[in-house]
Amino acid sequence: MAIKVQIPTPMREQSGGKAEVEVTGATVKAALEDLLRQYPAMGPKLFADGKIRPYINVFLNDEDIRYLDEMDTAVTDGVILALIPAVAGG
Amino acid sequence: MINTNPLERYSRQMRFPGLGKTGQEKLLASRVTLCGCGALGTVLANVLVRAGVGFVRVIDRDFVEPSNLQRQVLFDESDVANNLPKAEAAATKLRQINSSVTVEPIVADINRTNIEDFCDGADLILDGSDNFEIRYLINDVSIKHNKPWVYGGAVGSQGMSMTIIPGETPCLRCVFEAAPAPGETGTCETAGVLAPAVNIVASYQATEAIKLLSGNKAVVNRELIILDVWENTNKRVKVAPLAGRKGQCPCCAKRNFEWLDGAHGTQTTTLCGRNAVQVSHRVKGKLDFAYLATVLKQSGEVSYNKFLLKFQLVENGDPYEFTVFEDGRAIIKGTDEPDKARTLYAKYVGH
Repeated sequence: MAIKVQIPTPMREQSGGKAEVEVTGATVKAALEDLLRQYPAMGPKLFADGKIRPYINVFLNDEDIRYLDEMDTAVTDGVILALIPAVAGG
Repeated sequence: MINTNPLERYSRQMRFPGLGKTGQEKLLASRVTLCGCGALGTVLANVLVRAGVGFVRVIDRDFVEPSNLQRQVLFDESDVANNLPKAEAAATKLRQINSSVTVEPIVADINRTNIEDFCDGADLILDGSDNFEIRYLINDVSIKHNKPWVYGGAVGSQGMSMTIIPGETPCLRCVFEAAPAPGETGTCETAGVLAPAVNIVASYQATEAIKLLSGNKAVVNRELIILDVWENTNKRVKVAPLAGRKGQCPCCAKRNFEWLDGAHGTQTTTLCGRNAVQVSHRVKGKLDFAYLATVLKQSGEVSYNKFLLKFQLVENGDPYEFTVFEDGRAIIKGTDEPDKARTLYAKYVGH
């Protein structure tokens, strides 16, 4: 078991086309660091100046991590981290 | 057949217990400002006018094109042939659908100088736009003037919607603090868009509008709806409440209306999916198309009607097409570079 990270469509070029990847780590921060170790091209898509880009939200099992402990939120095997960018068109 | 009961046309929704006659009467007395009348906007306008929302102000800067017809439900081929502005074409259809409500079309570019006027008197603001500049402007107006609004967005097979009630729910900047820069996420151009995705998002927005306008705030959805019609996902997620940002939201906590104040936003807008840039340029009064046409005829092909002027030219081997509106605004096709568009505008339309 591992932590599942759901990759949004605009970032799948950087995840080798995968919609979901598995990572390890004890916190959201560690899990995302592992994501970037496996898929370095996702770095600039996800982060700017060391912070998550302001139009991307991270949800832990459907809850906004800002509602929890932000990047320090603890994660355990089996949880789902979803990266959700704002949808612009219409 | 003359039906003497004006409420008969609403009988099926009045029979729905959540609405009833009281809810219907509230809808009939309500006023909405619809910002944008493209894919989301046409679905929203269609549903709300049929439902009997008493006053709908429809604002759109664009005109109907063949590529709109796949998803923009109020338009047809004759609107394309007649080069009609979307707001005007929509108003004509909407009045045929329901002549007992008031539809006010406004052909204009929504920006920080006019949006407060456009939203004045509205009970609710609806997002029928395709860009975050307008959405952050709506968000500022919503918080500043204490009016609810409903965000909707769609691209590819994905969609998103959220209802903002000032003082009760997180605002758009609580959830998405800043807009993606061009090229950072999917656009209509790179990802395309499926009509059902937009229709579903707009239908969620319309439902929220009906709840709010009919006095049913208690059943408003206070979560972020995220869906993908191709990957078969549909979920609601809890977004961080006002306290979740520790009072740090620049808009709803600190009441800095950065978009309305002009700290963000430009006078040019790259248009989604069209290799085109809109250049906003304020003029006093209206442009004189007849005069402009005689000037531009020296440089290319010109035609105009009472709403817009088209001008095609080739410069250094590159073709461009200008669509100029009476308020001085132009959509310049053939480039997606704001600076190039500004240059072209200054060169041909001038000041």
